[in-house]
Amino acid sequence: MTSITIIDEPENPLRRAPLVEGKNNFASVTNIVARVAENRTPKGWYLMFGIAIALLLNLGAMIGYLIFTGVGVWGNNIPVGWGWPIVNFVFWIGIGHAGTLISAVLFLFRQKWRTSINRASEAMTIFAVMAAGIFPAIHVGRIWVIYWVFPIPNQMLLWPNFKSPLLWDVFAVSTYFTVSTLFWFVGLIPDLATFRDRAARAGRTIAARAYGIFAFGWHGSNRHWVNYEKAYLILAALSTPLVLSVHSIVSFDFAVSLVPGWHTTIFPPYFVAGAIFSGFGMVLTLMIPARKWLGLHELVTLNHLDNIAKILLLTGSMVGYAYGLEFFIAWYSGNEYEQFCFINRAFGPYGWAYWIMVSCNVISPQFFWFRSIRRNPTLLFIISIFVNIGMWFERFVIVVTSLARDFLPSSWGYFSPTIIDVLTYIGSFGLFFTFFLLFCRFLPILAISELKGVMPEANPHHGHDQGHGQDHASGHNKAH
Amino acid sequence: MSATLTAPPIQELAPNIVIRVKDGALNIGKYALLVVGIALLGACFIASMGGDPAHKTRIAFSYLTAYMGTLGICLCALFFVMVQHITRAGWSVGVRRFAENLAGALPLMALLFIPIYLSIDQLYEHWTHPHEGDEVLLGKHGWLNKGAFSVRAVLYFTIWLSLTFIFRRWSLKQDDSGDPALSLRMSRVAAPGILLFALSITFASFDWIMSLDPHWFSTIFGVCYFSGSYMAFFAFTILLTKWITGKGYMRESINTEHYHDLGKLLFTFMVFWTYTNFSQYMLISYANLPEETSFFAKRLDGGWGAVGTMLIFGHFLFPFAFLMSRHIKRNGYALGFGAVFLLVLHWIDMQFLIMPNAMAAHGADAGGADGAAAVSGQFGAQLSTWLHGMQWTDAACYLGMLCLVGSVTLINMCRHNLIPTRDPRLSEALNFQNL
Repeated sequence: MTSITIIDEPENPLRRAPLVEGKNNFASVTNIVARVAENRTPKGWYLMFGIAIALLLNLGAMIGYLIFTGVGVWGNNIPVGWGWPIVNFVFWIGIGHAGTLISAVLFLFRQKWRTSINRASEAMTIFAVMAAGIFPAIHVGRIWVIYWVFPIPNQMLLWPNFKSPLLWDVFAVSTYFTVSTLFWFVGLIPDLATFRDRAARAGRTIAARAYGIFAFGWHGSNRHWVNYEKAYLILAALSTPLVLSVHSIVSFDFAVSLVPGWHTTIFPPYFVAGAIFSGFGMVLTLMIPARKWLGLHELVTLNHLDNIAKILLLTGSMVGYAYGLEFFIAWYSGNEYEQFCFINRAFGPYGWAYWIMVSCNVISPQFFWFRSIRRNPTLLFIISIFVNIGMWFERFVIVVTSLARDFLPSSWGYFSPTIIDVLTYIGSFGLFFTFFLLFCRFLPILAISELKGVMPEANPHHGHDQGHGQDHASGHNKAH
Repeated sequence: MSATLTAPPIQELAPNIVIRVKDGALNIGKYALLVVGIALLGACFIASMGGDPAHKTRIAFSYLTAYMGTLGICLCALFFVMVQHITRAGWSVGVRRFAENLAGALPLMALLFIPIYLSIDQLYEHWTHPHEGDEVLLGKHGWLNKGAFSVRAVLYFTIWLSLTFIFRRWSLKQDDSGDPALSLRMSRVAAPGILLFALSITFASFDWIMSLDPHWFSTIFGVCYFSGSYMAFFAFTILLTKWITGKGYMRESINTEHYHDLGKLLFTFMVFWTYTNFSQYMLISYANLPEETSFFAKRLDGGWGAVGTMLIFGHFLFPFAFLMSRHIKRNGYALGFGAVFLLVLHWIDMQFLIMPNAMAAHGADAGGADGAAAVSGQFGAQLSTWLHGMQWTDAACYLGMLCLVGSVTLINMCRHNLIPTRDPRLSEALNFQNL
């Protein structure tokens, strides 16, 4: 053995970096997570919750105003009949993609690092899908007959148009919401039982009852675990196609049309990559402050952030690939409408939005080629904000630029949002953060039982016979 | 904190493991495949000598179909290697060496590209000899001309061959030194490597398949080609490694557990192929724009309608049901059958993409309405049209090329260690269990 090289420890190929850092054991991991919900509510939480509730009330007021007045209160008008509401819908649905990707796809790929971020991301997914669902619902105008979107047998023989991707959306999004919620809830059960038992021991009867109802009488028996693991695996397998299908169908809303800039075959995978990109961006935006304020840095480690940054680099580059291909094929097609559409996007009246999109989505993740940036939470947080902004603008560019200048130059226009548009969008953040803050306060924000499963103590070989299994190399400290 | 360690020698991990092929042990496979490959391709070459030019063109299309089917397999072997490095995969260390050897057939593929280049006037007749006043082709002349086509081909092969060379060389170097820094270095090169790979395979599929019909375009085409190729890579890998493990080699590093995973990935990319092709078909059919539907209109006629139907069943529905079960993926014969089946379907998929252009070269473009009438006829009639349109050279080229690639892979394997003996994650691969 001749070669001796110095490698920074987290990158050392001889060892898997520990997923839980510090001197933690099973008990301390439970304590770190449970303490968040059991300690006195911090003042900062009240402050943030107050702001979130205020924004939520504002959302309610805007929706009320909209319903009583009509969709004319928005900037939507011919030629841009789909304005901010659809942009916001796609934006939020996209954010709702990281949770299921982390919990299902990364689970099937045995990416054990997912355990410390899956719970919060799944919660985020559910709240983001809720925020998303509002927009098409209030866009229908007569929201009191919104149930018509479902194919319910009725005496008027009125059926939704099954050929419309907007109807497919109804099914795709509601299926996604249902399965994500189930998946999240199934994962929560063992941890809720932990919370129940701790509350009971501390004499907090009401809390113990409340957690107890949702823990379904879990007491960690062997039979419980066997059933639990099976259910989890099956839900993961069911959720995996959903990760791809939901945003593919959202992309069909645009791509089945004839509108240049909307109709292109790369749309389904391109939208899925963009959704994962935006979802992981939001995961960073939420987890970086959370790990700092709630003292989770030993569980959500720099290695986790590093991995997320790599996924952002990957998906950001995939999105960049799609932007580039759209341009190339628009030229290659020889179709002058396609060519005009893309030149107009980049250099027309909405050029500013296009270049915001490109710089935020394609250029900003390129910083993640550098390891030092991937491991710097402050910079990561800043770039994650750019990702969020960029992905909103991507949808804006797609929706608005293609419509504002359509086939008929005499009807060309320039879209401007109204104050109601803006306030409704800001209000949707109120909805999202209200739920997310409640989640942080009352539920186990990290998956306690899964975290324990990836600690060395959980390895059956732990403590003896280190030549096997995961920590194989630690027994071979034999450099000469 | 820093580490100053090397990976343990393999004898410590698995004392009885065989890491080199005994002299001549795989010779039967090596030489049989080589001889069959050369014979089949040689026969096609002889068949193309003399005769009328239409016949020659037809054989060139057989060759292109086979070439694109096989090239994708070798390219995706390179992709597989890079993905294993970048994800720091542990389970696949043994499979990775096989993939390195398979990617080592890329120089052969570069050589086999020469006949395509020489037939450029026949294969890519539409843009090499455009009709007078074809404005659309005139517009993309800057891209579709022989000079640019050649420069790009050289560029693609430069990218692929250099990446293959780098990853093979460093991986073999690690066998001697056990230096974990090499793993780190390979994972770093893999990141830009994958980026280059994505771009090059996309534009290669545009150049070599999509431009057969130079009026037609589809942004997802590169992803479609990649997805089918990656699936075929897993099928090919499963088959060839089955034979080698059957000979008693690599049994520790590629056992039932690894086949189970390879089976899962085969299944995954079979479904991903369906996803990309469905996206392409559905969006084009729904929007119904004549410049895009021409692609599918052409494939309703001349028997291709039956092929499209066969692809839906054979490339998705049947393997979806068949490969779903854990027991199938863990059973050598069943998985082997699935792999053979999908390799055949991969060839039919390539036919579906490439061959209709061979027939259109003879006559006028198929009309959409006629095509629809034909497909509403009978599946049987379509199928027989397709079968009658086939030639023995179609199968011979594909089989011959697969044999050659298999033979080169085996030759590469015999020259070096069968497994990366000092890979830092080798013990994970040897102890891997699929829970």
